[in-house]
Amino acid sequence: MNTTDSTLRQGLSEVTERLVRDYGERAVTSRAVREQHSHGEGLADAGMPDIVVFPQTNDEVASIVGLCNAARIPVIAFGVGTSLEGHVAALYGGVCVDLSRMDRVLEVNDADLDCRVQAGVTLEALNAELKGTGLFFPIDPGANATIGGMASTRASGTNAVRYGTMRENVLGLTVVTADGRIVHTGGRARKSSAGYDLTRLFVGAEGTLGIITEVQLRLYGLPEAISAAVCQFADLAGAVDTVIVAMQLGIPVARIELLDEVQMDACIRYSQLEFEPKPTLFFEFHGTDAGVREQAEMIESIAAEHGGSRFQWASAQEERSKLWKARHNAYYAVLALAPGRHAFATDACVPISRLTECVLETQADIVETGLIAPIVGHVGDGNFHLVVLFDPAKPEERAKAEGLAARVSARAIRMGGTCTGEHGIGVHKLEALVAEHGDAVSLMQAIKRALDPNDILNPGKTVPK
Amino acid sequence: MLDPTFASALAAIVPPPALLTAPEDTRPYECDGLTLYREQPAAVVLPDDETQVVAILKLCHAARVPIVARGAGTSLSGGSLPVAEGIVLSLAKFRRIVAIDPSARTAIVEPGVRNLAISEAAAPYGLFYAPDPSSQIACSIGGNVAENAGGVHCLKYGLTVHNVRKVRAVLVTGDIVEFGADALDAPGYDLLALITGSEGLLGVITQITVKLLPKPALAQVALAAFDDVEKAGAAVGNVIAAGIVPGGLEMMDREATRAVEQFVHAGYPLDAAAVLLVEADGTPEEVAAEMAEIRDVLTRSGATEIRVSADEAQRLLYWSGRKAAFPAVGRISPDYYCIDGTIPRAALPGVLRQIATWSREYGLPCANVFHAGDGNLHPLILFDANKPGDRERTVEFGDRILELCIEVGGTITGEHGVGVEKLSGMCTQFAPEALERFLGITRAFDAHGLLNPGKGVPTLARCAEFGRMHVHRGELPHPELPRF
Repeated sequence: MNTTDSTLRQGLSEVTERLVRDYGERAVTSRAVREQHSHGEGLADAGMPDIVVFPQTNDEVASIVGLCNAARIPVIAFGVGTSLEGHVAALYGGVCVDLSRMDRVLEVNDADLDCRVQAGVTLEALNAELKGTGLFFPIDPGANATIGGMASTRASGTNAVRYGTMRENVLGLTVVTADGRIVHTGGRARKSSAGYDLTRLFVGAEGTLGIITEVQLRLYGLPEAISAAVCQFADLAGAVDTVIVAMQLGIPVARIELLDEVQMDACIRYSQLEFEPKPTLFFEFHGTDAGVREQAEMIESIAAEHGGSRFQWASAQEERSKLWKARHNAYYAVLALAPGRHAFATDACVPISRLTECVLETQADIVETGLIAPIVGHVGDGNFHLVVLFDPAKPEERAKAEGLAARVSARAIRMGGTCTGEHGIGVHKLEALVAEHGDAVSLMQAIKRALDPNDILNPGKTVPK
Repeated sequence: MLDPTFASALAAIVPPPALLTAPEDTRPYECDGLTLYREQPAAVVLPDDETQVVAILKLCHAARVPIVARGAGTSLSGGSLPVAEGIVLSLAKFRRIVAIDPSARTAIVEPGVRNLAISEAAAPYGLFYAPDPSSQIACSIGGNVAENAGGVHCLKYGLTVHNVRKVRAVLVTGDIVEFGADALDAPGYDLLALITGSEGLLGVITQITVKLLPKPALAQVALAAFDDVEKAGAAVGNVIAAGIVPGGLEMMDREATRAVEQFVHAGYPLDAAAVLLVEADGTPEEVAAEMAEIRDVLTRSGATEIRVSADEAQRLLYWSGRKAAFPAVGRISPDYYCIDGTIPRAALPGVLRQIATWSREYGLPCANVFHAGDGNLHPLILFDANKPGDRERTVEFGDRILELCIEVGGTITGEHGVGVEKLSGMCTQFAPEALERFLGITRAFDAHGLLNPGKGVPTLARCAEFGRMHVHRGELPHPELPRF
């Protein structure tokens, strides 16, 4: 062990002792808790923190980060661990800051349609709190993630096509920076050209530039009318083309989800749906009664031109919930197709005009590999996923699956798109970032150095060293 | 004066008609839309293409000569005010619309293209570019990106940052970088958001991919009169709180409508204390439903008269007054000073009341014409620069408005940018922790601070001098800095 290592180790044990002393039962070193904080969902990523701390205030987070910065110890922010790209793995050990006890909704300004929450508030908890105000927060990544985690990964989801991603819906932040100070960005004004856009810089930075502790969010009035419809197609091309035409006409659909026949088959079995295993689109419409009717009529006629069935409607709340629950459980439905196999999700996103081409090439590619890899996606914004199944006991099958995923990423990039529409970079996609961004990566590194000179914030993620 | 070696190296890149050094030639570049500040640059260059831009930046970088990029020069915050020892890099020749892709709904344009020219070029495809600053007939898209420009339709369709997909820029080192992506999301840090609104401090923009939107089938505007400014302010909040997102939601007070009416004869009710313009757009059914709701809310909020445009000509007439408000005010007063503070909408009535009180106290008329739906105020303080003391009192009045905006949770600039004008306001709005991040980002892009120096982000020393640095919990930040 060289001196630097031993100094760091010495620093780590001092920081750990200090945290245990200051935070008592809120600073945990038990193996079980550290293990639970070593990974998100998706593939296992080794990386146990040395200690997990549960702060309750901005000042506590600031003081923890300040201690770590002085001792050059890594700090990893943790919400509820729903990340799919290994964002929370403590690759170099260090302190895990679990924000789940910062779970208060601080203010709801219904007249201004905004609210301020602590980072550990979950999406479902926020919407439960908003019940009765006539407002809601629409971004829905499928998992019941924390708002802080959603901001950090710039989460999107099934209705980004109408409401945008976290990029469009975060108005301001409180962030603890690497030197343990508290910075407020943005605010309650709807727009500001004062200074650089720090808010959007921290949104999507995956905890590598600062730890988000409070989030000011944009809220929306609950639509007067909501209805959902299902449309089934003879072939995949017809379904995707329907989406493209709808988008080009600018029809403000709230959600459009594509499920290919394999995914549909899995969902029918898993969620007991009464549909056929065919390429399918799920739609949701928000607006006034007249607006919803009009949007739906327009899309139904576009679908008919592309071989789509008549719409099957789900207007009652329970029917809609069943439909979207089935969609959100798509990942588990696929796992249930072949028990014992492992799965991971790809996250390609292409310009909408290239979507059909990209999806069809990908489907042919899947058939070629012989793997089970259903296609499902928020196609309204050009984003789709494969859930690739493989047998962990067969290295050649895993290699095949990884090869398929690599080709999906490469194809998306070749078509002017990205390999990460919404799941983020984390540890898995660092190389792809370089492939997509080239020169901009060195700027990202310069920003990382400027804001975190000691590289203590979630090291090894988002931007290659 | 340029160093002769540097001057000849510059002339080798951009030969004379595109290189201006004589004072009479550089004079037109001495200021932008904010004429309170003037400075003549050592030279103006008008490159033809990106290769020349790269060469100019490399040369300036090596010689440590400051560069101020300039589009159409319509900035209202002095964003393109020259630096005496530096050069102005005009993007006036970058006027090509490179491509329009109706299926991807994007346009690739050069930075010198006028904002309105994009919508005109997209019109044959039934598309338009949504952000529409009032100066859209003249302002260029490069400047729009640099300032994160807004406009009347931003309430519904977002600011420039929401309507740009990709930006290509040359860094001070001469390296070319692309920010953003053709797809929905670009991975990694959101550099596209960072360069948008960076006021020319991070790079020189050479190409922009903007999003285009389908032109709504129908748009109608309601013109509502109120006998009280605060009632009109409250009506704005009521519209939004009712869950309506109008295409535009603008307010003009009596001072503004009277100035405008003489100029464009739009038929505004002159006896009203305030007028709201509320636009609904979409399919005919949507517009009908939304307009009915708008009428209902406006009536409940105490509107004394509501007129809805009967056809497109009338809609444009109603808007013409709003769009011409600045020049119209320019006709009734020798000088005016435009403030750009933005506040949470619920604070509108109180802030408007305070502005009216101050206007009486200072004896300076103030016309309010603004993006009410966004809470973006534009008080125009009328003054006469030739009257002793008027100018000073105007600036003081303006500063008080901005401080009030910050106090109620708002910002000193909604869409015009900081430029040279609001550097002091930045010291009030942001704590040193945030200002240090700004400075760190500037240095990460431009270690020597050559791009548009003295704009956008104040140094901590300047804030200390200004004496209004945000004091957190009584701890004086940076006690080592000299204070005056």
